[in-house]
Amino acid sequence: MSEMWLNMGPQHPMTHGLWNLRVHIDGEVIRDVDPEMGYLHRGIEKLSEDRHYNEVVTLMDRTCYVAGLAWEHLYILASEEALHIAPPERAQYLRVLCEEFQRIASHLMWYAAFVQDIGLMTPFLYGMRDRDLILDLFQSYTGARMTYEYMRVGGVRNDVPPGFTDRARQVLDWLEPRFVEYDQLTLGSDIFHKRCDNLGVLRANDCVTQGVTGPMLRSAGLKRDLRKDRPYAVYDQLDFEVALADTADVTGRYLVRLEEMRQSVRILRQVLDWLDRHPGPVMASQLPRWLGAPYAPVGREGYLLKRNYPKGVGFSAVEEPHGEALAYVVNEGGEHPYRVKFRSPVYANIAAARHYLVGYRVADIPPIMGSVDICVGEVDR
Amino acid sequence: MKPEDLARSLPPVLAPVLLGVEAFPGFAARVRFRREGALDVFRAIHDLGFTHLAMIGGIDWVDHREVIYTVWSDEARTYLLLSTDVPADDPRVESAVPVWPSANWHEREAWELVGITFDHHPDLRHLLTPDGYAFHPLLRSFKIHEPEELEVKTRHV
Repeated sequence: MSEMWLNMGPQHPMTHGLWNLRVHIDGEVIRDVDPEMGYLHRGIEKLSEDRHYNEVVTLMDRTCYVAGLAWEHLYILASEEALHIAPPERAQYLRVLCEEFQRIASHLMWYAAFVQDIGLMTPFLYGMRDRDLILDLFQSYTGARMTYEYMRVGGVRNDVPPGFTDRARQVLDWLEPRFVEYDQLTLGSDIFHKRCDNLGVLRANDCVTQGVTGPMLRSAGLKRDLRKDRPYAVYDQLDFEVALADTADVTGRYLVRLEEMRQSVRILRQVLDWLDRHPGPVMASQLPRWLGAPYAPVGREGYLLKRNYPKGVGFSAVEEPHGEALAYVVNEGGEHPYRVKFRSPVYANIAAARHYLVGYRVADIPPIMGSVDICVGEVDR
Repeated sequence: MKPEDLARSLPPVLAPVLLGVEAFPGFAARVRFRREGALDVFRAIHDLGFTHLAMIGGIDWVDHREVIYTVWSDEARTYLLLSTDVPADDPRVESAVPVWPSANWHEREAWELVGITFDHHPDLRHLLTPDGYAFHPLLRSFKIHEPEELEVKTRHV
């Protein structure tokens, strides 16, 4: 058979973003792959060194454009540790509210794009329709549907408006029966099973060696979820299960993501109940003025000169919709972070592409790469 | 896992290359080591159960550079920070790919952005920047823009 290198991307429906998958094929069989990244590299880590701590939040929405709030949460947790600032409890619950709604929105976006890849058109429209309900909620308290800029060092920008919790519950009530419909549309379809079963298999030890995390790892049966294993914010006070599957293939990843959405609904109901019962401040009471936090109260401490402020290093790890995201923020005095380093889960998941693509056919690439849930913004940063 | 327990469980032959095992916020501990013994330290840490390498980053401290490794243990359920200093005029360290294959892309990134060379890396190519790109953007000497002299014009004097 004839062997050749084939370019899939940067403009290809499979990529879901801007990157290039170079495939070495022997006839129809994949012999080797070499992902080429960097088309979307904006130097976010470098730009962060030139901005105030709160201005970096703007970049976080652009880092991952389908899970902006999860990345804001990641960065804010690390910079608060570096700056020795603690947020009030209500702000932490609001951040969890943001992250879990964002998880559902991100998974719905993935669901819509993925099922279209494998040839099912109707679920695409259903997924996008239901995601819009969550974006409407975001809009009602952050003012934006995509680039929220909601979280601040020391808390969140503003509280949710009156009546928000009831509207949010209505959305959850609408969503829950929809998950059953999604399963009927996909798992009930022969096309789905023929295109997804036993495809893109990546077993648990390979996942660990290759640094693969998130739903891909959990679909291989390894129970690791940072919300449980290394609880941040208020996740240790919330009751939920870790979604698991054991098939390690495309179908397994589908099942894990669907179950994660159900668990997110469960978390959100607890968070909404808590928010109803515990009104309070959403921003730390005293913040240093040099932080440049708009809408933030400035206390006596606020007039501290920056040079008197303690240095520090902040580290945070967040279970983002795509997997485990890490941030490392170095505060060396000065009004800007000295160095910001992010770890994107999709970065590691794409790096392992050789291990779940080689041996399959060219036509298998769209469903397999679709099941990885790619967001190029956070890979290239 | 406490830093003292970790220090005790590391093999004694590593003593000459270890510079310290200390408490560090967010991590079980920070292990500082000399770059000459990097591969031995990686193997010892990997054997302690830290099988998942999460990220590798470089920090430019102007007079020297620091390479940080973040590893996770599924048994201890905790992160560990490994750190080594390399001189700015000879920024090289042994590649971690033989121990953690996932280090591949992280080292490529640290090489092109912070200018740290990883010896015996299987495939040290540009990843995020174009081939032949001659700069290391995350060095402090790489300025995004020079401060500009702004002329302020106003009608109200």
